[in-house]
Amino acid sequence: MLCLGIESTAHTFGCAVVDEKGRILSDARAVYRAPEGKGIHPREASRHHIEASHGVLKEALSQAGAGMKDIDLVGYSAGPGLGPCLRVGAVVARTVAGYHKKPLVPVNHALGHIELGAALTGASDPLVLLVSGGHTMILAFLEKRWRVFGETLDITIGQLLDQFGRAMGFASPCGGRIEKLASESSGQYLHLPYVVKGNDVSFSGMLTAAVKLASTSKMADVCYSLQETSFAMLAEAVERALSFTGKKEMMIVGGVSANKRLAQMLEMACERQASRFFACPIKYAGDNGAQIAWTAILDYKKTKKAVKIPDAFATQSWRLDTVDVAWR
Amino acid sequence: MQLLKQGAEADIYVTEWHGKKAVSKVRSPKAYRHEALDSAVRRQRTVHEAHLMSAAKAAGVSTPFVHFVDPDNAEILMEFVQGKQAKDALDVKMCMQIGRYAALLHGANIIHGDLTTSNFIVNNRLVLLDFGLSYYSERMEDMAVDVRLIKEVFTSAHVGLRGAFPAFVRGYGSVAGKKKTSQILANVKEIEQRGRYARVE
Ligand SMILES: Nc1ncnc2c1ncn2[C@@H]1O[C@H](COP(=O)(O)OP(=O)(O)O)[C@@H](O)[C@H]1O
Ligand SMILES: [Mg+2]
Repeated sequence: MLCLGIESTAHTFGCAVVDEKGRILSDARAVYRAPEGKGIHPREASRHHIEASHGVLKEALSQAGAGMKDIDLVGYSAGPGLGPCLRVGAVVARTVAGYHKKPLVPVNHALGHIELGAALTGASDPLVLLVSGGHTMILAFLEKRWRVFGETLDITIGQLLDQFGRAMGFASPCGGRIEKLASESSGQYLHLPYVVKGNDVSFSGMLTAAVKLASTSKMADVCYSLQETSFAMLAEAVERALSFTGKKEMMIVGGVSANKRLAQMLEMACERQASRFFACPIKYAGDNGAQIAWTAILDYKKTKKAVKIPDAFATQSWRLDTVDVAWR
Repeated sequence: MQLLKQGAEADIYVTEWHGKKAVSKVRSPKAYRHEALDSAVRRQRTVHEAHLMSAAKAAGVSTPFVHFVDPDNAEILMEFVQGKQAKDALDVKMCMQIGRYAALLHGANIIHGDLTTSNFIVNNRLVLLDFGLSYYSERMEDMAVDVRLIKEVFTSAHVGLRGAFPAFVRGYGSVAGKKKTSQILANVKEIEQRGRYARVE
């Protein structure tokens, strides 16, 4: 079984072909870049996706050495995400699946991160930290669904890094630049608000404080302290959730998991709880079509359920903990 | 000293205090935290915990008796409480009692900060532990964060137990009254909408 997955929730328009063993036969992406110091503009991003869609789709098929006739299933990310971006993915999916008469499966984007991460790392029943522009959530699987054991009370870790970076005039996404600057710091720690509430975290006070600090301190030290504080909060929240759930595996997925310092801290937090640490390979940490394709395969193989083409919509705020998972 | 439990944050040892069974709660350094941040966090939580545990008792909530505090070593010596974690014995009646406790704390402007079912011990009474994240506040919003947390716990770890959160709300309401309870619930809703669906703007 070959599945074409279409991802289009935020910055990335991606198409990929995956087989039922989880082999990623192709992974084509086009990423919208906002101007320096600016955030993502949904309409601009969706325009980018519309223009990129044809090329990305073609590339995904040719990389996989497949034509649409070889594809058995089409999956698309149906939320959560930015409305205008999601709609592009849904339209492309409807068109392709409708024209070529393929079953079409809507996939929850967050679920895609988790399932591909699990397939690539071999984690079987992990506590999951999902960290990206749109998510900061601690999840564990219980009674048919991924349940939320912790999350941000205000902005996500991705938003913290991006909004701080943009205030400094960096081009977004800013995580890479901040990580690099932090590594150039001499290790001078500047105090920032450390807010953990149970397994939940709050970053908005830190954002304000860090921006303020930047006008009087060395940029490298501010970036260093921003990472040290925010990542330690996440590590602590994860440790608390591990202790509570007793999970013996922990997996990090999502764009921010590319950060090496975060992975290192989480690994240390897992040690005390005697949990095995798994990190989604950096190459697939960010949004991509393979996540969607693989999750669509898992879903379709188990449930044989597809949506009718006219009913293939996207939902901006489709909560992961409302999705029944039949295959776990 | 014998290790009784590794908590979410601290190590719990069984020891003695003047011939009586006691618990030593030690916040050991966390290797993943920068040293300066780590020692500040551990000290502050130890001091808060000891202080607010006593304050909660005065507010009518059953908590372990504090014998001794050592902020430099982030250690608290307290009464040993016999019983199970509420997490492993939860029923609807207990949820209601948890609600009553939360309202009693909030009535004294104490925010617990980690209102979860592993932080209660049950025997013939219900005893609330773990005040490391507690603080004083008069703000409804902060009280709502407490309520939201236990709601999250009920709807994740205890999804199998039906009526848990409604029972909590009944217990809360019996102490705090209708008006305050519904205000807090409105705040809870607002927080939920903020976090869970946050997207890149
Ligand atoms: N005074 C006590 N008497 C008996 N058991 C205790 C006592 N304090 C803690 N414990 C046990 O240790 C566990 C962890 O303690 P807690 O104070 O919650 O630490 P942490 O902050 O690490 O979660 C509790 O869930 C409980 O089972
Ligand atoms: Mg505890």
